[in-house]
Amino acid sequence: MRYICLVYLVEKDMDALTKKEADTCTEESLAYDEVLRRTGHFIAAHALQPVEAATTIRVRNGKLSTTDGPFAETKEQLGGFLLIEARDLNEALQVASRIPMARRGSIEVRPIKEITR
Amino acid sequence: MKFLFTIYHDEKTLDDMPEREMQALVDSALDYDEEIRRSGHYIVSNALQRARTARTLRVRGDKVSITDGPFAETKEQLGGFFLIEARDMDEACAVAARFPPARIGIIEVRPVNELRHS
Repeated sequence: MRYICLVYLVEKDMDALTKKEADTCTEESLAYDEVLRRTGHFIAAHALQPVEAATTIRVRNGKLSTTDGPFAETKEQLGGFLLIEARDLNEALQVASRIPMARRGSIEVRPIKEITR
Repeated sequence: MKFLFTIYHDEKTLDDMPEREMQALVDSALDYDEEIRRSGHYIVSNALQRARTARTLRVRGDKVSITDGPFAETKEQLGGFFLIEARDMDEACAVAARFPPARIGIIEVRPVNELRHS
């Protein structure tokens, strides 16, 4: 079964890291992707650019409106995600608890929903 | 360049939707999947189960703490995502605007940050 792991962080805290600390975060995250590939859990994973790089889109009555910035201004921001394959929620939570950024932020784990015609 | 679309909607609006209307929305989303596969934009996408099925975890020191529910309680909830490939933000937004459920929800488009070994 597939689960998405949403990584929430305080961007400001990440910006305040020294280059060495930030490089360590990157290396640990890339190394964990490799672990997940070897164990067969990996589907996709990406860090995201900061929320100010976001554009938010609505279509109402055929009319498109776009605004700069994220959908919601929040204290913590979505900083990245991992899409994983796991046997069940317990296994997904075990995988999520070893995400290096779980030590700095919060990880929301949510099962995906198969949609069919 | 890769972009993540996160799709937010009011789950209650979906729960209140007649079955037939809901299935039409699902079918239109599946058609859209096919369309952006053909156009070469598609990488991966999924709908998500309701926010109440989420667990949120933190690791501090050696201690893992897990709470039921999503990270944040919000009026609109994350209902699904797309990871797509596009030339730039303008193209990504044009692709996002064609997603049929954009008519009832909100799509946030964010470029990914490609991590590289230092």
